[in-house]
Amino acid sequence: MNRAQKVAWLFVITISLAVVSSLAAFAILYIKVGIPKAFAGFALLGIAGFGGFGPIVFPKDKGKITCDERDTFIDRQAAIAGFATAFLVVGLACMLPFFILGPQATVAVWWLPNIFGAAGLATFFVHSVVILVLYGRGGGNGEK
Amino acid sequence: MAKNKIKNNIRQFRFKNNQMTQAELADKAGVTRQTIIAIEAGQYSPSLELAIRIARAFGKKVDDVFEYEE
Repeated sequence: MNRAQKVAWLFVITISLAVVSSLAAFAILYIKVGIPKAFAGFALLGIAGFGGFGPIVFPKDKGKITCDERDTFIDRQAAIAGFATAFLVVGLACMLPFFILGPQATVAVWWLPNIFGAAGLATFFVHSVVILVLYGRGGGNGEK
Repeated sequence: MAKNKIKNNIRQFRFKNNQMTQAELADKAGVTRQTIIAIEAGQYSPSLELAIRIARAFGKKVDDVFEYEE
């Protein structure tokens, strides 16, 4: 498993953990204190920030060559998939309220930074998943 | 994923060249060992430039190392 895969695994684990724990916290707070205080549960999304330590935690790969055309190709494909996901998340966040609430409804402005944050999380998550999928199971490094 | 139509004889040529290891071939071709493994297993089709570098590492032509299956 190379460094990119290790970093991708860290992102997948931290983002999954952050989303699951924040949704659980939101549900518990919703039952106990209700809206709007229940939104404080989403503070646990900050766990995803630990994924950013990946490049510091994992040392550079051994060997003379640490990155080649295949690594670049995989990273580019992952980046395209990640940004396509961000576009999809923002698009859905804009269009769903329109179709559900109707054209005359209004949406609070504080949703905008949250949509931006959600798009960012989705981008990092999909980018990491695509890296892991394209490198293949077992790391494609002779390890099974 | 579509089945890779590019076949290769890298494994045979490695053994014919004093049992060259994947790491040695990777160093000669200027790529990571992981990439040589992926190419050898038919999971990744190299660029023309890399195919030439791999063939040169064996002292062969690209056609000898890589085959296109119709």
